[in-house]
Amino acid sequence: MTMTFLTGWLASVPSVAVPYALAALGLIISERSGVLSLTAEGLMLVGALSGVAAHIFLGGHELIALVVAMVSASVVSILFGILVVVLRVNQVIAGLAMVFFCQGLTNLIGSVAGWTNHAVAGLGQFRLGSLADIPILGRIIFAQDLVVYLTIPIFALCWWILTRTNVGLRLRAVGENPEAADAVGINVVNYRFAAIMIGSALVGLAGGYLSIVSTKIWYPEMTGGRGWIAVALVIFARWQPWRALGGAILFGGIEAGIPQIAATGLHVNQYFVLMTPYAATLAVMIWGGRSMADVAAEPGALGQPFVREERR
Amino acid sequence: VASLLASGIILAAAGVSPQALLLELIPETLGNSQSLQSILIEVAPLIMVGLSASLAFKVRFWNLGIEGQMIWGGIAATAISLHHVGPPSLRLPLMLAAAAFAAASWIGISVVLKARYRVDEIISTLLLNYIAINFLHYLVFGPWVNPVDGMPHTSQYAEYERLPQLAPGLDASLLIAMLFVVGAAWLVHLSRAGGYMRFVHANRRMAQFVGVPVAGVTLLAVFLSGALSGIAGYSICAATEGRLTEGFYGGYGFSGVLIAFLAGNRPIAVTLVAVFVATLFVLGQSLQIFYQIPFAIVQLVQAIVVIFVAASEFWIRHRVRWSS
Repeated sequence: MTMTFLTGWLASVPSVAVPYALAALGLIISERSGVLSLTAEGLMLVGALSGVAAHIFLGGHELIALVVAMVSASVVSILFGILVVVLRVNQVIAGLAMVFFCQGLTNLIGSVAGWTNHAVAGLGQFRLGSLADIPILGRIIFAQDLVVYLTIPIFALCWWILTRTNVGLRLRAVGENPEAADAVGINVVNYRFAAIMIGSALVGLAGGYLSIVSTKIWYPEMTGGRGWIAVALVIFARWQPWRALGGAILFGGIEAGIPQIAATGLHVNQYFVLMTPYAATLAVMIWGGRSMADVAAEPGALGQPFVREERR
Repeated sequence: VASLLASGIILAAAGVSPQALLLELIPETLGNSQSLQSILIEVAPLIMVGLSASLAFKVRFWNLGIEGQMIWGGIAATAISLHHVGPPSLRLPLMLAAAAFAAASWIGISVVLKARYRVDEIISTLLLNYIAINFLHYLVFGPWVNPVDGMPHTSQYAEYERLPQLAPGLDASLLIAMLFVVGAAWLVHLSRAGGYMRFVHANRRMAQFVGVPVAGVTLLAVFLSGALSGIAGYSICAATEGRLTEGFYGGYGFSGVLIAFLAGNRPIAVTLVAVFVATLFVLGQSLQIFYQIPFAIVQLVQAIVVIFVAASEFWIRHRVRWSS
């Protein structure tokens, strides 16, 4: 009994954690360049809807649909980039406007085009040969879907680029002190734009994963605050990719545990159950705020527009 | 500024219905006295949420929890109604006070989280919205479900628990909203606290150095902001709906932020922008009824307006010279 509970729980953690992890990673990339990005909730919806749309039109190729989700979120984020990088709009206002823009847009397109509640096949298990047949461990580690396995290399790649390459160094310089970066000849505008678009592609992937792999269906506002939780996760992770992954697994563990506990017959009102991810996020933030002394982990120029030739 | 409205219309037309239909719809809606009345009814809560957001933004507190505060306002007012607290003649003021208190307490959570645990208020107010929504659903689907028809709303308020219509189309809620506008205008523009708020808005650290009671002014603005959102929720319940419903708060959260942004946090301007947004709301409702276009179009148009206005500020402040 306890054993089936544990394996069932642990086996479902990765697929819940993946959207959080990917969205948070995308946000980290953009925020490391100094652009405060609150757009995740909206761009995840764009990814989710366009993924389902691509799945319907292109004849059920899940991986192509996921790529479409990435590309469309990235394309929509160009608008955000123009607003905050070129036109230097307040980044909180621009981010919020983007979220509501995307919510309205996806809601409208989804219902006008009739993609709402249109089931898709979803991504099957990607069983790693005979490893998946190992009792218990096989089910938890070796019988997940492809995106779960890809998440680790994606994180490794982003971490490596951010911390071990010249490009990453320049990106972080732009985020910490754009004036200095500009003075040594780094094009601040280009770096920030690129960071927004690449980060948004990952956010779009997280959204596409939600609709194509997790729920296998699109419905309006299906992200249900996961984008905001990802924003919280980035702060909790102090803008460090690996910490974000750890945080995502923690959140995934909490959220995946809920249906498992409900399945054991423990009776809790469903609406209180639905509150737990948000309450847990706040609890984690409180815990993080208490124990973390290094507030300096925040990129120095986060949220500030860069104006060349302006004295501050 | 005209371009932004045009963009919204073009978008609606391109997305769904031919432009001609839309051009018929707008005069139809605006020329009709009944829809003018519904605009006036929509204006009151929009003014309140607009003022709420303005006050919070005035002291640079990002109150994005307007919907959650509205929900608690509605819940508290309804609790007073359901448990018959106080004599009937005092019922309405009691409901208002309860709504203001409950909503101010709800925003108080975010204040405590920010002050004690350094949790960003953007995150905490947003997440608390989801908690409030689920709690509302628990109430209206559970203990407070309408015993008569089993629908997800409470039973109807008694007659003396509803805000009266003073004249056709002129609701008492509008009167209350106008009083708040005057009060907020006095607070922001004329009172000493308003001067402090401007100081805090301009430079919090500097304000601290010259002896402005920064914490006190911030708390005042933030709690008033919460209370105003709560009263907005109460006024929708007590004027328009006459009961607590499942989705009465929908769309007001972002509208409040938008109104405050477009009005530059100025109370008088909030009133004007609220009329504009109320017109959008009513247009959206008729679109929904006559053309089955989801209400989300209103949200989309609002977002486009914000994006356009925010972008145009750049062109107002800067002149671009193309060097060859």
